[in-house]
Amino acid sequence: MASLPPRRWAALALLGVAALLPLVVRDAFVLDSLILILMWGALSAAWNVAGGYAGQVSLGHAAFFGIGAYSAALMTARFHQSPWLGLLLGVVLSIAAGGVIGYLSNRLRGPYFALSTIAFSQVLLIVASRWRGFTAGSEGIPVPFRPGLWTLGLGHVAWVYVALVVALVYYGVQVWLETSRIGYQLAGVREDEDAAEALGIASRRLKIRAVTLSAAMTAVGGTFWAQYVGFVDPFYVFSIDLSIRFALNTIIGGMGTALGPFLGSILITSLETYLRATFSGLKTGFAGIYLVIYGTALILVVRFAPEGLTGVAGRLGAWRARADA
Amino acid sequence: MLTLERVTKRFGGLTAVRNVSLDVRRGDLLGIIGPNGAGKTTLFNVIAGYYRPDGGRVVFDGRDVGGRPPHVICRLGLTRTFQLVKPFGNLSVVDNVMIGALTRLRRVSAARLEAERVVETCGLAPHANARARALPIGLRKRLEVARALATRPRLLLLDEVMAGLTPSELTGIIELIRLLHADGLTLIVIEHVMAAMMRLAQRIVVLHHGEAIAEGTPAEVARDRRVIDAYLGDEFVLAQA
Repeated sequence: MASLPPRRWAALALLGVAALLPLVVRDAFVLDSLILILMWGALSAAWNVAGGYAGQVSLGHAAFFGIGAYSAALMTARFHQSPWLGLLLGVVLSIAAGGVIGYLSNRLRGPYFALSTIAFSQVLLIVASRWRGFTAGSEGIPVPFRPGLWTLGLGHVAWVYVALVVALVYYGVQVWLETSRIGYQLAGVREDEDAAEALGIASRRLKIRAVTLSAAMTAVGGTFWAQYVGFVDPFYVFSIDLSIRFALNTIIGGMGTALGPFLGSILITSLETYLRATFSGLKTGFAGIYLVIYGTALILVVRFAPEGLTGVAGRLGAWRARADA
Repeated sequence: MLTLERVTKRFGGLTAVRNVSLDVRRGDLLGIIGPNGAGKTTLFNVIAGYYRPDGGRVVFDGRDVGGRPPHVICRLGLTRTFQLVKPFGNLSVVDNVMIGALTRLRRVSAARLEAERVVETCGLAPHANARARALPIGLRKRLEVARALATRPRLLLLDEVMAGLTPSELTGIIELIRLLHADGLTLIVIEHVMAAMMRLAQRIVVLHHGEAIAEGTPAEVARDRRVIDAYLGDEFVLAQA
């Protein structure tokens, strides 16, 4: 495939680096950072399917993440089953929930849709934190560690490769959305729904499908995250912070591009882990400083690169091509 | 091919289209004219499925399509353009047209070939890779037509594709419409530019306050007393004479 565009090569190179890193680095902190970068990148890619490709900006994707996390945690801790069954259950539940959100996307536009997704995730937060008998309420659920692939009790190196596979698959889904019939039709719906309808595209059904796919992908990510971290706290997995993280990574990296969510995750996640490690030992006054840096990064991107990092890379590429010519 | 039977559309107390009946046969090039607010675009919106008619029937190829969603009507072979053009602004011209082509073609590669062909036909080839939003209005009107054509309609509804064009752009688009018609396409053309319509249409329906007040050849319509009073004015008659 000599005709592969530069951005695909960049993606393959990044994934290659991620694949080779565990062979040379054994440091747990580095591997942990790498796993988180891949996971948050994949989860942002899942968000991108709805927010970027379908143009349905959700600020409640933590709902699907939490569904996936809880499905796995309850399946393992309460029913002593494999987390893979939890993953399956999470997918089924999130498809149902995604159908609801997708339906809302046909009723509500822009900010009203975004607000309704926040409300949706908050409802799930209340359910998870109050239903003590089943979810253990606000205490959260420790996920039992049982070594093995079937039980997803893995070491750091194995987790790198699990996260890598998820990231690769999600990247592939996005590439498919850029090059397939459905992907082009979805782009039409995103750009102008009335025009898309006039051209024979069943826009409502297509939007619901995209949001549902995005929801299922997010739930799968939630399952893996819960198994990796080993603890599910309702106030974290259903939090608005988390929903914003998915959106923010993608906006900073480049909405509606396959590489964008991963670039955003590399920047934001590594910045965050670095700052946390650096400032956690200091007085509590510094505890929130990474939020300040988040905000600054977002402002800089919106001001200087409204199309995200991939947009900047594209412009540099075009500029270099002109300079060469 | 298309028959409207006493179609009516109301918005609250306002009747935008009242009891309009008309008949379009295969190979026709029908013009619809009328002053602003006469109900021309509303009529298109009813035919193409954007509004549900409050009365009457819209029959396309023997099927009552009144109230069916737009994408279904398009797949049946009836495609419309928008007066206020709606390009997919961030996509290239050829991608815009390709999205239309994908309605009939399942393979992206085949749709791209088709789109390139349609872009060529519509005189957009030099701009094929430009972003749609970067096009000037004259070319955006052409893009509307190209995108609709790519869905391979049997009946094409053009909503004021000539409005706001320079005289040379106007001539170009009239040539394009004539070419499409000569190729066997059936068209309904809404137009405000009366002179252009006189050159183009075989038959004209005049709408006024939502009602069809006259129908006939351009010459017949231009002589019709009600049309002159309602729309053309005496100056037009003098200018024609």
